Amino acid sequence: MASLPKRIIKETERLVTDPVPGITAEPHDDNLRYFKVTIEGPAGSPYENGLFNLELYLPDDYPMEAPKVRFLTKIYHPNIDRLGRICLDILKTNWSPALQIRTVLLSVQALLASPNPNDPLANDVAEDWIKNEQGAKAKAKEWTALYAKK
Amino acid sequence: MKNQISDASDFTHTRIPKLSQLDTLLRCHICKDFLKVPVLTPCGHTFCSLCIREYISVQAKCPLCLTELRESMLRSEFLVSEIVDSYKVIRDKLLDILRQSEEKTTDPDPDSSIIEVGSGPEDSLIENDNQNDDTCDDIQILQSNKPTSLKRTYTDIASSSLRTLPRSKYFKANIPVKRSSTASRIDSMLKKPVELVPCPICEKYFPVKELERTHLDECLTLQSLGNKPISLKQTSHKDEPVLNRSTVMSSKKSIPTGGLRTTKSREEGEVEEEISYVDKYINSTTDTEHQRLPKLDLPSMTITQVKQKLSNLGLSTAGTKQNMMARYNYYEILWNSNFCDSLNPVDVSELKRQLLSWETSRKVHNIANSSTSIGNLMVSRSANRHHDYKKLLDNFKTDKFNRKEWCLLFRKQFRRLIKDAKKGQISRLSKNEPIQESPKDEQLTDPDLSNDLFEKLDDQVHIP
Repeated sequence: MASLPKRIIKETERLVTDPVPGITAEPHDDNLRYFKVTIEGPAGSPYENGLFNLELYLPDDYPMEAPKVRFLTKIYHPNIDRLGRICLDILKTNWSPALQIRTVLLSVQALLASPNPNDPLANDVAEDWIKNEQGAKAKAKEWTALYAKK
Repeated sequence: MKNQISDASDFTHTRIPKLSQLDTLLRCHICKDFLKVPVLTPCGHTFCSLCIREYISVQAKCPLCLTELRESMLRSEFLVSEIVDSYKVIRDKLLDILRQSEEKTTDPDPDSSIIEVGSGPEDSLIENDNQNDDTCDDIQILQSNKPTSLKRTYTDIASSSLRTLPRSKYFKANIPVKRSSTASRIDSMLKKPVELVPCPICEKYFPVKELERTHLDECLTLQSLGNKPISLKQTSHKDEPVLNRSTVMSSKKSIPTGGLRTTKSREEGEVEEEISYVDKYINSTTDTEHQRLPKLDLPSMTITQVKQKLSNLGLSTAGTKQNMMARYNYYEILWNSNFCDSLNPVDVSELKRQLLSWETSRKVHNIANSSTSIGNLMVSRSANRHHDYKKLLDNFKTDKFNRKEWCLLFRKQFRRLIKDAKKGQISRLSKNEPIQESPKDEQLTDPDLSNDLFEKLDDQVHIP
């Protein structure tokens, strides 16, 4: 493994010493570019009381290229598909090297708090969300209790 | 490792936590390190020249506000550059002093009163001493809990070292004024390992290394110009401070906690050259000798043309066209950042060295990533397949990537992975985990999840 850029070491250090409330991120022992992430469901959302596992990978070109983030825990959300892939602008076209792991994870947490069914990734979920928001939220809550138990 | 990488949060537990804001402001938002050759965008944001140029070659927009941005719009900011440089030099001392006084408020130590930075020509000298004292105070604080025998060994070593120093008189005469005797002895102990040698021209004492490396040359040039040696001019009767300063500097290398001082080399440079950041800023001009390297439309050129361009610049023409293109592009970034933005441009040979180290680090990445391990295996299986694989891999990170063919190509491996995963799941199921069977299947066959899959695949491939 080539030497890790200073920036990554720094970010990792700060994530550990000064963690974001409700979010943990730990690098893997074998690959310091691979992080095991957990995010608590935001209060007031259907994901409240859930603890979601994610994986985050920093590509070789990071920070010129966005980190790759994916949900490992099953989640019922219009912008997150069955494979855990996330539809979030800053992970795709709006990535900027001024962003960092911390801000990315905060954005993911914010996405849980405010789903956007008008720009869906999981079409069926989004449809459900638009037609019957109460029902969809109930289902999201159900899934949270089922799969994202703390 | 922790101490080598400074962070704005270093200040949060000192007496002036708000300094962390200043610290953050002086850093580049791309590399998160202190701004190195800062440049200003038309939208008013500042980045390291190299960082932003590298990013613009990928995405032509400002990382902070996402407005459009081109390389030609960047302007160097000499003022910021000097602010950052002068801040970097004082940062460690500042941090030490602020941390120390924080400690003091909780645990007053009669022996380690801080020396206020004095006024007058010896300013920087006292500061330097101060820095060494900080380390000493740490030792002392530790020691104060322990029996005095330890202290005595320190002082013994220290006093014996005093004798070995050719100019120890200075230390003896100077330091006790400011410091308690123990501290001063440890001070001088830390200064011990430097051997001082007189310069044959100006007859002053310098550490051997410094004398050989820089001073002799300076002295000779000045003499040939008919001037007095520079150090004489500066300090007609203060030759000891010069001596002491350089001693302190070089002796720092031997301090065990030297790793703490991230700006060490910088300080050393400062001492040798006596840089005034103010003067440097006032007299700043860009290099007009070197012209900027143009952006070339390399993809449309033939290999011979690209090779010619590279050899004209004295660069290696090894590797594929793609390698050569990447080489030129990075060299162009290095060159333009160095000669268009930097206040003190480095030599062309240094640029080439940087290019080489960049290329080496990239090669390591590529190998680690994919090509050799899987690639070689494919060669051994069938040349045709290898070709397919290569072709697919080219588009791996883009939208053009052909997922279907990739799946077909690695069908066997994927199957085996799925089998393994299922086995793992069964054992996990017994531990009361929820079932995720159907998505799991797809997860593993989906090549989009490239990176972790790649790793798994790598492992798998090596087993047989």
